[in-house]
Amino acid sequence: MKTKEKAHLAPYQKPTFSGRVFDVINIVFMLVFAFCMLYPFWNQLVISLNEGTDTNYGGLYFWPRQWTLANYAYIFEKGNLGKGALISVLRVVVGTSTTLFCSGLLAYVTTVRGFSGRRFMRIVYLITMYFGGGMIPTYLLMVNLGLLNTFTVYWLPGLFSAYYMMLIASYIYGLPESLMESARIDGAGEMRIYFQIILPLCVPVLAAIGIMAAVGHWNSWFDVMVYNPKGEWDTLQAYLRRILTEATMASQLLNDQQQQEAMRKLTTSSIRAATTMVVTIPIVCVYPFFQRYFISGMTIGAVKG
Amino acid sequence: MSKTSAPAAPKTGHARILGRLKRERSLWAISAVALVWVAIFCYGPLYGLLYSFFDYRPGLNLWDCEFVGLKYFQEFFLLPDFTKILRNTLVISGLNLTIVFIAPVIFALLLNELHHSGFKRTVQTISYLPYFVSMVVVASIMNTLLSSNGTINELLMALGFIESPIAFLNEPDLFWGIMTVTNIWKGIGWSAIIYISAITGVDGELYQAGAVDGLGRFGMVWHITIPGILPTVVLLFILGVGNLLNTGYEYQLLLGTPMTRDVYEVIDTYVYRYGVQMGRYPFATAVGLIKSVIGFILVILSNLASRKVTGMSIM
Repeated sequence: MKTKEKAHLAPYQKPTFSGRVFDVINIVFMLVFAFCMLYPFWNQLVISLNEGTDTNYGGLYFWPRQWTLANYAYIFEKGNLGKGALISVLRVVVGTSTTLFCSGLLAYVTTVRGFSGRRFMRIVYLITMYFGGGMIPTYLLMVNLGLLNTFTVYWLPGLFSAYYMMLIASYIYGLPESLMESARIDGAGEMRIYFQIILPLCVPVLAAIGIMAAVGHWNSWFDVMVYNPKGEWDTLQAYLRRILTEATMASQLLNDQQQQEAMRKLTTSSIRAATTMVVTIPIVCVYPFFQRYFISGMTIGAVKG
Repeated sequence: MSKTSAPAAPKTGHARILGRLKRERSLWAISAVALVWVAIFCYGPLYGLLYSFFDYRPGLNLWDCEFVGLKYFQEFFLLPDFTKILRNTLVISGLNLTIVFIAPVIFALLLNELHHSGFKRTVQTISYLPYFVSMVVVASIMNTLLSSNGTINELLMALGFIESPIAFLNEPDLFWGIMTVTNIWKGIGWSAIIYISAITGVDGELYQAGAVDGLGRFGMVWHITIPGILPTVVLLFILGVGNLLNTGYEYQLLLGTPMTRDVYEVIDTYVYRYGVQMGRYPFATAVGLIKSVIGFILVILSNLASRKVTGMSIM
C-alpha cells in the first residue's frame, strides 16, 4: 500500500489551466464540505451557551449573544444528568471490559490446537452471526429472565460476541504457537496462559475492539429505551431522547420555571442543546485519536471475511 | 498435544475419550460457560420465534397456549398497512442505494485530487465526526437546525425562497429528502474510507502508462482510477441490495411524528410499535420473522450475485 502511494501525481503531470481551475473549485468545495460537517455541532454549542429565551428570537448562528451557563447548571442540578453520566460511564467500562475478557477467552479456546471442542465452539458461535430471533423474542427473553429495569441488561446480553471472537482468533493464529506450547509443557494452566501470554500479546487487536465496543456502548439508546422503561438506569443518551421526544420533560421544566425566578429564561431547546453537548463532547475529544483503531478494526474484518 | 503424550498401554476407545476430556477439562469448563450463555441469549430468541405460531402471552408456558398456525402471518399481508410499509421500505432503500451510496464514492475521488496532504487529512478526519455520534445526537441537531427559528428556515427566508418558516419535520412530502440528507451527512466520511483505500491500491504503473499515452488528469481518473475501484463499488452495491430490508429504524423513531408516520413506517418500526408498545407479541414476532426470512434470502442471492460478478463475497 505504501509503495504505490501517490506515485502517479506530480511527476507525470504538467499543470494545465483546467486542472488549476478544478483544484480551486475542489478546495472551495472541501472547505464548504468541512463547514457543513462541523456547523451543526457548533450551532448546537452556541445555543447551549446562550440564554434560552434570547435564542427564541432567532438569528443565532456563530456566537452566543447572551452568554450563560444556566442551561448546563439546570441539567446537572435538576435533570439528574450527573447520574446519567455516571451510568453511561459505568456501562462503557463494565460492558467493554466484560466483552473483551469473555470474547477473548472464547477466541483463545477456539484456537488451542488439538482441543476436541474447538471446531464445535466455533460453529455454534458462527451460526449466531447469521440467525437471530429478532426484536420481540429477544425482548420477551429479557422480560422472562427478569432483566428489565436492571443494569445487567446492558452488559450480559453482549458478553460473548461471535464477531469479536473471529477478529481475536484470527489475531491469535498469527502468534507463534511455540509460546503456548512451551508454557503448557512447563505446566501452566489454560487460564494462566490466557492471562500471561495471550492477553498481553493481543493488546493491539483488543484495543481496536475495545474502542469499537466502548463507542457502541456510549452511543446506544434503543436498548435503554426498550429494556429500561422505568428510567432508573437511564444513560445520557436516554436523557437526551426523553428531552427530544417526550412532553413530560417540557412540562417539568415549565413547573420548575413557575416556582423559581432563576429558571425563567430556560427553554426546552436550550436545555436539549446543553444535553447534546454533554453527550457529544467526550466523543469529539477522543475520536481523532482513536479513528485509526476503528479503521484497523474494519480492515481486520475485511481480510478475514 | 494429544500426539506427544501417547499412552503407555493401549486403552479402549471409551477410556481414551475420558482421558482426553480430563486433560482438556479447563478448556471444556470455559466452553461450558460460553455454551450456557449462547444457548440462553442467542438460541433462546430463536426458540422464541415459535411465539408467532401461538396465542402467546408472557408468563405462560408456550405449550399451554393455543396453536394458531399462520394466522398472524396472514393478518400482516392482508392489512392495509402492508402496502404502505412495502412502499416506504422500497423508497428508503432505493434512496440509500443510489444517492446515499454514490456520495462517498464521489467524495473519495475528490479527496484524492487534493495535493496538500495535511489539508486532505484534516478534511477526512472532520468527515468522520458525524459517524461517531449517536443517532439521538443527530436527531437533536436536526431538530434545532430545522426548527422555526433555526438556521435552515432563517437562511431560506433571508434568501427569499420562503415567506414564513416551514415545519420541516411535520411535512410528509419532505421526510424522505431530509432523511436522505441526514444519512449522507452521517455516513459519507466513514463510507469513503473503503474507497480511499481502494484508490490507494490502484497500481501506480498504470498512471505512468497513462501519462505516456497522453492521458490528462481527468482522463486518468476516468480511465484508470474509476475502473480501479469499480469492483469494490460493485461489491458494496450488491451487498447493499442484500440489506434492502434493513432501512434502519433509529431515525424514524427519533424524528418521525404522527404526521409523517405514513411515509416513515418500515417493518422494524412497525414491529417495535405493535410488539413493545402495544404488547401484541405473537403478531409482532410474525412480522419480524417474515422480514428475517426474506432478508436472509436476499443476502444469499446478493452473495451469489457478488461471487459471480466480482469473485468476492462475505459468506
